[in-house]
Amino acid sequence: MAGLLGLFLPGLGHWYIGRRGQGLVLIAVLTATFWGGVAIGGVRSTINSEKHRAWFAAQLLNGGHTLAVLAWQSQLPRRDPQTNLPLGRAVWPSDEIAMVYTGIAGLLNVLLILDVTGRAGERSPRAAPAIKSSPPEGGRS
Amino acid sequence: MIGWSGMLASLFVDPTFVPGAMRSFLLLPLCLSISIVYKTIKCDRLKDVPAASFVLWLTIVCGMYMVGIGMWAAYLLFGAP
Repeated sequence: MAGLLGLFLPGLGHWYIGRRGQGLVLIAVLTATFWGGVAIGGVRSTINSEKHRAWFAAQLLNGGHTLAVLAWQSQLPRRDPQTNLPLGRAVWPSDEIAMVYTGIAGLLNVLLILDVTGRAGERSPRAAPAIKSSPPEGGRS
Repeated sequence: MIGWSGMLASLFVDPTFVPGAMRSFLLLPLCLSISIVYKTIKCDRLKDVPAASFVLWLTIVCGMYMVGIGMWAAYLLFGAP
């Protein structure tokens, strides 16, 4: 569950397992990194599933952020209706910098998901000895 | 509301032009992000994160600039491949 929440919004998994401070820092940092990249490259050209497939796979790991950008992209006109020229396309190096920012944010989220999954798994064995230490019913097993 | 949407449009819809020298400075916030995320999950206490992140950020940035300078020097010495 924590891993899924982390995939939905980077950092939310840490919030869910009770690491509220860490969760807030991670949400703020990864959101700023991803949307900083989008601000550099623009919504239309930062996420491009046809031209940069490997980077697109990394960007998808941002989960909700990437879906928001894809939804925003679908609302925007791609070409100028009068001149038929492409609108808002980033040129080098803005497009590549934007891809790197958003792709690295996605790869960092993999780190967070692995960490939160491990920590969520650690919590159960800690609870188990407390249950075992209680005396069995009737005083004998 | 129109002001907010206009501001969002100008921030995120239109790409930002990054001039030549600015490119190398965009490494700094990216390295900061990486170091904060890494140290946030490594440090048990949140108050240890800023100092540890700063040291890691400095290490990454110095390392990256040294690699860049080394490659630039190699390019000047041996030319393009």
